[in-house]
Amino acid sequence: MTLSRLLRCAGVSTAIHRFYPVSVGNQQFVFWIMASTACFVIVSRNDIPIYEAEVGSVLKKEEAAHLHQFILHAALDIVQDLAWTTSAMFLKSVDRFNDLVVSVYVTAGHTRLMLLHDSRNEDGIKSFFQDVHELYLKILLNPLYLPGSRITSSHFDTKVRALARKYL
Amino acid sequence: MEPDVSMETMSTIRIAVVAVGGAIPAGRLREYAAAVGRHARVELSALASFYSEQQKSPFAHQPWDSGALRLRFVLGGSPPSPWEDFQSHRKILAVLALCHCPASPDLDIVAHHFAAACRPYPHALARRCFAFFPSDAQLREEKRDDIVLFPPSDVQKMEFHMLTMVQDLAASLLMEFEKCVLRTESAGTILKTPLDSQSSLGSEEVIKAKKRRLGRAQKTIGDYCLLAGSPVDANAHYSTAIELARLTGDVFWHAGALEGSVCALLVDRTGGRDPILEEEVKYRYYTVIQLYRRAFIQDNAQRVSTVSFELEAALKLARYLCRTELAKEVVELLMGAADGAKSLVDANDRLILYVEIARLFGTLGYQRKAAFFSRQVAQLYLQQDSASAAISAMQVLTMTTNAYHVQSRRTNPKLHAPAQELGTSHGDGKKMQPQSVVSLFESQWSSLQMVLLREILVSSVRAGDPLSAWSAAARLLRSFYPLITPAGQSGLASSLANSADRLPVGTRCADPALPFIRLHSFPLHPSQMDIIKRNPLKKEWWTGSAPSGPFIYTPFSKGGTTDNSKEEITWVVGEPVQVLVELANPCSFDLVVESIYLSVHSGNFDAFPVSVNLPPNTAKVILLSGIPTKVGPISIPGCIVHCFGVITEHLFRDVDNLLLGAAQGLVLSDPFRCCGSGKLKNVSFPNISVVPPLPLLVSHVVGGNSSTILYEGEIRDIRICLTNAGTVPVEQAHITLSGKNQDSVISMAHDKLTSALPLKPGGEVTFTVTLKAWQLSLADSEVDASRNSSSSARRISKEGSSPLLAIYYAGPSTNSDESENKEASVPPGRRLVLPLNVCVLQGLRFVKARLLSMEIPAHVSDSFPKPTNINQSSTEEDDDVQDKDGSLVKIDPYKGCWGIRLLELELSNPTDVVFEVNVSVQLDNPTDEHTPVRDYESADIRYRKTRIDREYSARVLIPLENFKLPVLDGSVFLKDSQTDESAGNKAFSVTERNAKAELNASINNLISKIKVQWQSGRNSSGELNIKEATQAALQASVMDILLPDPLTFGFRIANTSVEIGELGDQSSKNPIAAHEMTQMEVLIRNNTKETIEMSLNVTCKDVAGENCFEGNSATVLWAGVLGDINLKVPPLEEVAHSFSLYFLVPGDYTLQAAAGITNATDVLRARARADSAEEPIFCRGSPFHVRVTGTA
Repeated sequence: MTLSRLLRCAGVSTAIHRFYPVSVGNQQFVFWIMASTACFVIVSRNDIPIYEAEVGSVLKKEEAAHLHQFILHAALDIVQDLAWTTSAMFLKSVDRFNDLVVSVYVTAGHTRLMLLHDSRNEDGIKSFFQDVHELYLKILLNPLYLPGSRITSSHFDTKVRALARKYL
Repeated sequence: MEPDVSMETMSTIRIAVVAVGGAIPAGRLREYAAAVGRHARVELSALASFYSEQQKSPFAHQPWDSGALRLRFVLGGSPPSPWEDFQSHRKILAVLALCHCPASPDLDIVAHHFAAACRPYPHALARRCFAFFPSDAQLREEKRDDIVLFPPSDVQKMEFHMLTMVQDLAASLLMEFEKCVLRTESAGTILKTPLDSQSSLGSEEVIKAKKRRLGRAQKTIGDYCLLAGSPVDANAHYSTAIELARLTGDVFWHAGALEGSVCALLVDRTGGRDPILEEEVKYRYYTVIQLYRRAFIQDNAQRVSTVSFELEAALKLARYLCRTELAKEVVELLMGAADGAKSLVDANDRLILYVEIARLFGTLGYQRKAAFFSRQVAQLYLQQDSASAAISAMQVLTMTTNAYHVQSRRTNPKLHAPAQELGTSHGDGKKMQPQSVVSLFESQWSSLQMVLLREILVSSVRAGDPLSAWSAAARLLRSFYPLITPAGQSGLASSLANSADRLPVGTRCADPALPFIRLHSFPLHPSQMDIIKRNPLKKEWWTGSAPSGPFIYTPFSKGGTTDNSKEEITWVVGEPVQVLVELANPCSFDLVVESIYLSVHSGNFDAFPVSVNLPPNTAKVILLSGIPTKVGPISIPGCIVHCFGVITEHLFRDVDNLLLGAAQGLVLSDPFRCCGSGKLKNVSFPNISVVPPLPLLVSHVVGGNSSTILYEGEIRDIRICLTNAGTVPVEQAHITLSGKNQDSVISMAHDKLTSALPLKPGGEVTFTVTLKAWQLSLADSEVDASRNSSSSARRISKEGSSPLLAIYYAGPSTNSDESENKEASVPPGRRLVLPLNVCVLQGLRFVKARLLSMEIPAHVSDSFPKPTNINQSSTEEDDDVQDKDGSLVKIDPYKGCWGIRLLELELSNPTDVVFEVNVSVQLDNPTDEHTPVRDYESADIRYRKTRIDREYSARVLIPLENFKLPVLDGSVFLKDSQTDESAGNKAFSVTERNAKAELNASINNLISKIKVQWQSGRNSSGELNIKEATQAALQASVMDILLPDPLTFGFRIANTSVEIGELGDQSSKNPIAAHEMTQMEVLIRNNTKETIEMSLNVTCKDVAGENCFEGNSATVLWAGVLGDINLKVPPLEEVAHSFSLYFLVPGDYTLQAAAGITNATDVLRARARADSAEEPIFCRGSPFHVRVTGTA
């Protein structure tokens, strides 16, 4: 029984958050449900993705994951123009495709933190971005890290995923 | 939905272009269609001649001078749209048939076809059939109304004809529009759209429809006005229509009329675009979009939807606004339109929508957005299951490759130009900035790129384009092999192979697949083929052009040349060259490279292909070779590889960049390192230039090139044969020596070589080099491992200790093109380095040398040998001893006795062959006039050969000439007595030094005269180098043997009655008789430079050694003083002391003088090796024989 079918049986829409007790028959499940999909990517100033993470809890299909990346990649065009029109780092949602929304946070060094999501939890996303930015700065301070190269730190990965669980 | 819509679309007249009659060749059809399509705009002013006003025109404000009709030719026609009533421009208003007369001879059939072709277009207001290239027969037929024959003529004429015909068509359309307008105005035409319910109309609805009819009619008239090119009229009608539609609540038609009014506005103000107009257009269009949205009725949404109109309107507005300044607004519109895709029922509509969105994003400069929607389009195409859709999908995807940075090289040959620049600048040794390294790998969204390439692969396989499939698979495999599972890699390999099966043999593809190829190194020229730059100004042209010494780095060479990393390599026309490249197959399947060879773009190189098999995850270094064919620079950017059935070019630069990225952690993996190949320094491709053919000398040693085994000191001639294997004669050649043990080469036949010049191609010259094997020292010899026992371990010379012959040679110094500048016209020379392969074996071993002296007591006679003339005295003395060998036995003038000096050399033979040693002494003064001519010719004295068996030792005695220093002084004790005697006395030490030097010189002189030659077997002979050993031996014993005693004692008979002439016979030699008083003298000579005081004693002994003077049985009586005679001898002078003897018994006696020196000087003490100053110093003379004749 897939998660979505299970949820449908329990009469729960997919747009639910946090702990949610579900009863199917006489069995009780507690799900930790985040936004159903979210894909987080850090793009360097040279337009190379230097960090990628699928932070959604939904069992991801490979095809969907590719689509996410394609959407994020396409959104770069819009970010590129939009980033210079505002002094804010958090550009809110800049692009969308079907139900998926792209929110972007541009750092001073023009590194872009991009999140693809389908929920509209703007405050959470903003906090998420701010915290990830702080983590990214710590990575940048590492003298052995060449700016613009891939972030391979597992610590960073763990932290980002924890932040995603916290805010998204 | 329709593709390519814009606001002006409403003013275009749609004309279906169809082909009729026999099949028209594709090229022809394209040509005709192009000819027709050129007339998309027909000026109203040009129509005037064809236009005839039959009634009053409803287009009151037609701009005859400036207006135009817009025609849109739809090739092949289009199916009727259900919205034709709503927007007249959707109708096909005319049919234009094209006919190729040679393909359709019967015009009746053509006419029939034409009529049939017009049938699907009931709304067509005009029909024309153009027939091209009619035959004469067809021209002669009576003129037909329905077919316009274009007489065969040149292009220009046909163009003109076509223009006329199109204008005619346009004019008739214009007249038809007038009729339509009048008909619409008057008759109660019912204008319906699919939105209006199709079911039977209720009475209420009939009334409603009647009310709306007027507004709809006005809108339709407006449409026709627009089509007729009269925007002012159209605008008037639209205004009425808008009013009426608003009143009747006909939302959909309201929107349509509003849209028309915008179009009229734009057509009216054609060209001019001001902000006010733009605002107006924007405002009206947003209203249009709103109205269309309102027209959406949930009820019939399943059957018919107005969404497409809404989206079309949005797209039209976006296209109108599409400028960078308004990007934000356009993006909003397009994103809204994209959202609308979900509500589109028809997949084709969605396709068109995405195509349009992609195009608009592309126009806006948003390449990535455009690529995204293009990919959506491709996915929609791929959902259709047809080959043509797959082709479309493939083409659309190929367009997106630029945005995703996975483009094929074929589409973008300039793609790698910047990379090249980066690569070369890196090759120049400049440190690359990390940022620029990063920029090399810009936009590497690997997962996207993989998905895209896979989709291109799938679509091209479906579309049946094997080359595209191959290219996509190759790019996928090459760029993303680390991300692909082994199974996936094999799958890609098989799809490469499958694609190649469908390609013709020898197909080339711009995108390389595997393997990865990098430049490994250039093997150096073998030393036989070194090319040396020629310095035309110097006679020794090779100097200074190349490091000639053994040092790779010379601190004196110019600094600039050493850090020039871009080395120069010279290749010679016609001589094969080799380049090492490294191949890597990081994938998990066996890679078969059918052939690989160097790719040379300069066209002056013949490369030889090689085939390689690379097992999974391996790297291999292979040797690629070729022959330069023409003079000039050569550039080798990469290799041509025939792999997976397709020929590709692999550039070294790409791999270099890849490795650079891998080093920075920007690329997924280093293909070479994951194959276990070591890290290699980035080899930059050097400048290679090809020079005209040079001579090429090939050498061989006569009698085999293997190394010559020589015993130490052996002298051997080595004959070296040089052959010119090149195609150019050798005109200059010089031999020089280099390497170790250069002095072992005794002579080289320079003149033999120079006399053979010029050496023609194929010519041969043989010259001799005489070698003398050098002595092995401990350092440069090694123990022959074949001999296991340590004691008999034989030493042989180490590898590389042989001398090298370097032969510098060159061809003619001037080229045929002498007019060119001189510098360039001097072709380089060459160097042939020829190691003289000599293996030196340990030969005769010199163990030690000793100087021996042998004394033969002299006979007492009246003549005392004169110390000055040794030779004379020796020859004048005894004839019996004057045989060949005995000539060396000479009177020692200082000792007063006969003596012989022998140099004893102890030699051992550790080898396994027999040696024969032959000693010869060169005589010093063969021209001495006092010396009679000897009975042998040469001045050398040869002695008998000494044979030394293997592993035995032998001593060789070399008789030496007598020599002693005339004076005993302090100089020879310089070493011993320096501290106490000569300190502070400079003048003294100078003379000492002179004397010492004199001594050494005489020793050296002696040694240099001795030659020890040996022979072993039949053909090895040599000379033993004994100089140093002998010198050491002599130095050690020089004290005892060579130095004169301080005092020399001699005896002679003082009686002058004995004639000197009697010396000649045997008896006269012994003049002393028994029982006779014999007067005798003892001569004491002081050999020092100081006066010596002494007490002299003379003794006489008989053969038994008994003292004859004293004792009970004294047999000799004497007169005079014989004991304790106190004498003082001045320096370097003689003193005689006389006495008389009376022998009682005949026989042999020995006379001997001895002296105790009083007040001995330090020199004497040193000579006597006295330990203490108190020790008495005695000096004893040599014994003298006295033979006493007579009877007892």
